Amino acid sequence: MTDNIIQIHGVSKLFGKGDREVVALRDVDLQFREGEFAVLIGPSGCGKSTMLYLIAGFESPSSGQILLNGKEIRRPGPDRGFVFQDYALFPWKSVLGNVMFGLRRNGVPHREAKATAMRFIQMVHLQGFEHAFPHTLSGGMKQRVGIARALAYDPKVLLMDEPFGALDAQTRKLMQQEMVSIWEEAKKTVVFVTHSVIEAVYLGDRIVVMTARPGSVKGMVNVDVPRPRKYTEEHYLHIREEVLALLEEEVAKSVKNLVEKDRRRDPDVTPA
Amino acid sequence: MITRRTVAERLPDRWRTGLVSVIQFLLPFLVIGLAWELAVRSGLITSSSLPAPSTILAKVWALSVREGVLWRHLTRSLYRLSVGYALAMGSGLLFGTLLAMNRILREMFSPILSLLISVPTIAWVPVFLITMGLGDRTVIAAVFLGGFFAITYNTIRGIEMVDVSRIRAARTMGARGLHLFASVLLPGSSVSVITGLRLGIGYSWRALVGGEMLSAMVQWGIGKMIYQARFWNDVTVMFVGLITIGVTGFLLDRLLIRWLERVTIERWGMVAER
Repeated sequence: MTDNIIQIHGVSKLFGKGDREVVALRDVDLQFREGEFAVLIGPSGCGKSTMLYLIAGFESPSSGQILLNGKEIRRPGPDRGFVFQDYALFPWKSVLGNVMFGLRRNGVPHREAKATAMRFIQMVHLQGFEHAFPHTLSGGMKQRVGIARALAYDPKVLLMDEPFGALDAQTRKLMQQEMVSIWEEAKKTVVFVTHSVIEAVYLGDRIVVMTARPGSVKGMVNVDVPRPRKYTEEHYLHIREEVLALLEEEVAKSVKNLVEKDRRRDPDVTPA
Repeated sequence: MITRRTVAERLPDRWRTGLVSVIQFLLPFLVIGLAWELAVRSGLITSSSLPAPSTILAKVWALSVREGVLWRHLTRSLYRLSVGYALAMGSGLLFGTLLAMNRILREMFSPILSLLISVPTIAWVPVFLITMGLGDRTVIAAVFLGGFFAITYNTIRGIEMVDVSRIRAARTMGARGLHLFASVLLPGSSVSVITGLRLGIGYSWRALVGGEMLSAMVQWGIGKMIYQARFWNDVTVMFVGLITIGVTGFLLDRLLIRWLERVTIERWGMVAER
């Protein structure tokens, strides 16, 4: 059989009805290999987050099929972990309570759940903060909790939706470095959505570039650079250029679409 | 160099801020009370229509410490309030949650809710008097109805406004049904739910006073005390009743609702600490 843990076959996703209908994704075929770090990148509004929501089971495809380990995805479930851009922590639970949530929900006894949660809290370097409430933490620390929470109950796949998008540049860089070691330690399949080429090439084994709306797969770039990667390496910079070239065409297209949409709404606006 | 320090400046900081807030709190009462006292004593206001604060306070003393009847009125009222309000809280939370979670139920029931919410609770009391008798049950029903709508509406709104990412996170981790409600939807909606509880206890308290006045078999209760004072033309007792209602309502809010806020939404950083 195949070692593709996620298989996406001919998936389209439509939002709205009639005149307001928007095709977010069109005929996407995509596979993710067990254990790989895959990055989805594309211009804003290209449906990369929608793709992730479909895998998570938050939305269902309008047509086509998504299989996880050969079984069709119908709803969210603990075989997946999700890391949100806005963290989505439970403010009424401590750091420990947040990280224990998935374990307790899946029948792990309290004592054991606590021990496991503490291990993951250590992995994201938050020991000493386990009894803190989320609102007392900085953005970077909150997202560490988000990552620990999504990994603690041992899902097969980790889905990350622009997880570092809300962080400042310094914290973001640090989190990217830590993400690499977390991934190496946790040995999970990761599907990571970003719009940053630098982030994509630094993190991913494979980068899936998506087209402007309606979103589909534009191309793929393998990043065959050993980790830890250096931002200055020549081969690495070459790959970055490759991704950038693919992406820029699509960004130009999506900007053009936006301008045309504006013009239809307001005929006086001339395109730039 | 010698600096002169006032008494207040020599106190520790924590005491000083405490003292300032106590003075801030009491000052308006003192000013109004003093003006009122002077107006009555100077004959500007006739004491039979508006007794002086000193007269009222003396009466409070007489009714509470010396005779003790004020406590008996108050405890009866608080008993009815707690039963009616507990019912309103339980059913309001349950009903609000059901409507928030189920679109069909919401579409079916929200017209009825909007219709009923515009009917003043006191207008129901004559109906209750016939269906539930002239005693406690009618008053409790009024208390219940007074609080029910505010709690229901704010529960619906609160649950509708729970951050969708948090629900998704919980569902991904396997939370369903009752557990999803208890661990995410209820705490997630607590800001709005507590607003509902606060409005609800205020409305319940008002409905209680009205209900007691109209229920003939009710002998004890703050509302009854005011109502009975009418037969003796005893304005002072009426004012004792009014003050008791105000102070008790204030204390209920401070002791129950503020406490609840402090241990939940303020602790969790869902609202700014006050």
